[in-house]
Amino acid sequence: MLTLKRLTAILFGLGLVIAFVPENTTKPYKLSAADMLTEVQFGTQMVSPDELADWLINKDPSIQLIDIRTPKEYEQFHLEGALNIPLSKILDDEWVDYVDQGIKMNIFYSNGTTLSQEAWMLTRQLGYENNYVLQGGLNYWTETILNPSAPSLFSADDEIAKYEFRKGASQYFGGGGVKSSTSQAKSKA
Amino acid sequence: MKTKYMNPYLAGVLLGLVLLSAFFFTGRGLGASGAVKSLVVTTVDVVAPEHTAESGYYSKYTGDGKSPMKSWLVFEVLGVLVGGFLSGALAGRLKLKVEHHPNITSKKRLILAGIGGVLFGYGSQLGRGCTSGSALTGMAVLSLAGFVTMMAIFGTAFALAYFFRRNWI
Amino acid sequence: MGPLIPQEIIAEGWNFFIAFVVGVGFGFVLEQAGFSSSRKLAGVFYGYDTVVLKVFFTAAVTAMLGLLYFSLFDWIDLNLVWVNPTFLWSAIIGGVIMGAGFIIGGYCPGTSVCALSIGKIDAMIFFGGIFIGIILFGETYAIIKPLYMAEYLGNIKLSDVLGISQGTLAFFVIIAALVMFYVAEIAEKNFPRKEY
Repeated sequence: MLTLKRLTAILFGLGLVIAFVPENTTKPYKLSAADMLTEVQFGTQMVSPDELADWLINKDPSIQLIDIRTPKEYEQFHLEGALNIPLSKILDDEWVDYVDQGIKMNIFYSNGTTLSQEAWMLTRQLGYENNYVLQGGLNYWTETILNPSAPSLFSADDEIAKYEFRKGASQYFGGGGVKSSTSQAKSKA
Repeated sequence: MKTKYMNPYLAGVLLGLVLLSAFFFTGRGLGASGAVKSLVVTTVDVVAPEHTAESGYYSKYTGDGKSPMKSWLVFEVLGVLVGGFLSGALAGRLKLKVEHHPNITSKKRLILAGIGGVLFGYGSQLGRGCTSGSALTGMAVLSLAGFVTMMAIFGTAFALAYFFRRNWI
Repeated sequence: MGPLIPQEIIAEGWNFFIAFVVGVGFGFVLEQAGFSSSRKLAGVFYGYDTVVLKVFFTAAVTAMLGLLYFSLFDWIDLNLVWVNPTFLWSAIIGGVIMGAGFIIGGYCPGTSVCALSIGKIDAMIFFGGIFIGIILFGETYAIIKPLYMAEYLGNIKLSDVLGISQGTLAFFVIIAALVMFYVAEIAEKNFPRKEY
């Protein structure tokens, strides 16, 4: 019989426990470690500099560049149209609507690939979609797009075609094979 | 003939479990006034479709061929109808009658019921829910609105109780 | 891990079926507790029948604890559970108007449906009244809209406002509810009324 006395004991007990047990604030992981490994191995989240250059030149409105380096680095140089979400803040409530959405293609980039790959892994584990990684980061971007190296005389047709594309892109982005004045020196990560 | 009601604490626990299951399955709680709102919107739409289209309030529920009757709350309230009937049937409480205090007439009771309904209808829209939808469900999720609405409803009813005592005691 | 439908663990097509079943449970328990009687419902305001208080607060506290414990065991993701938004003025004034409706009419929407299902004519009239009240709101919407939209505080929880954890708030609500239950028991002993 559920008398008031018994109810009091039950509710008081349950209430006391729930007041003192720390709240479960971990966001649940949507992907298991095995799933993550598969995705990483396939590398479908990678975006090559050529692809990115193509989209930027065509002013593709569906992409959103996200610079995950520190604000200081962002201020020194960043790709046009990029948003700055430092890696340390990528899980903050402030940015959740940017990294967890289904409208744009977010492309994380950093100086190399390591940190942007980390950003991708963190958000992917929470089940967010539409996030990608710029392969090689700004270092590789500089090398291939801004200062493309001429193919040798014996290169395959597609190598030559790639070079032609990159030469054009380089001019568009202000590379032109010339070391640009801003400090785009190869930086770590 | 005295009728037997369930132990209120037990009923409360069961109701709480029903509410919990609603959250577990759908992420939302219970409600009732919303279903009546759907009924109103549908009726107004059938009677005067241009009116719903230009009304700031009704149009939210009728644009793009949406059918307001196909709403979660409508199905839930239909369930309440069936559940209440089943319980009443099992307990032998099915009876067509006007329940009123012996010192007032049936007619007076019905008038008061009507006025009470109009107030509740209006208040539930303004308050964005009734006791089930805003107060009970809201409190279960600890929402501020839930507590505020609950206190406003019960506080006001207590405050006005003295003036309407002849109808109840 | 719940909630099941928003996370597509079960298909959305089940939604209306679940709504119906939940409603049946809701209506059944309400009627079993006596919420199909306006006299019992109004009783809490005069002390002779505190069933409303007991059922309402026990239910709220049960569901509250249920959600928090489920979250603790990772059976539900509280971030996906709807928290009704707070528009301060409309919550207060709407509540006041509803309180008046409660003491005058003796029902609320859910209980009126429960009562009319067993044949209570006063509940049917009450239900009709709700219908009219909503139309009244729709027609005067333009006038009341500024109040309706005022003081939007978001989907805020009381625990956020007080700066305490959800568990702590639940504990305080439990204490408050238990105190009210003891007072209610005393009141019923002191204010008995005949059933009619």
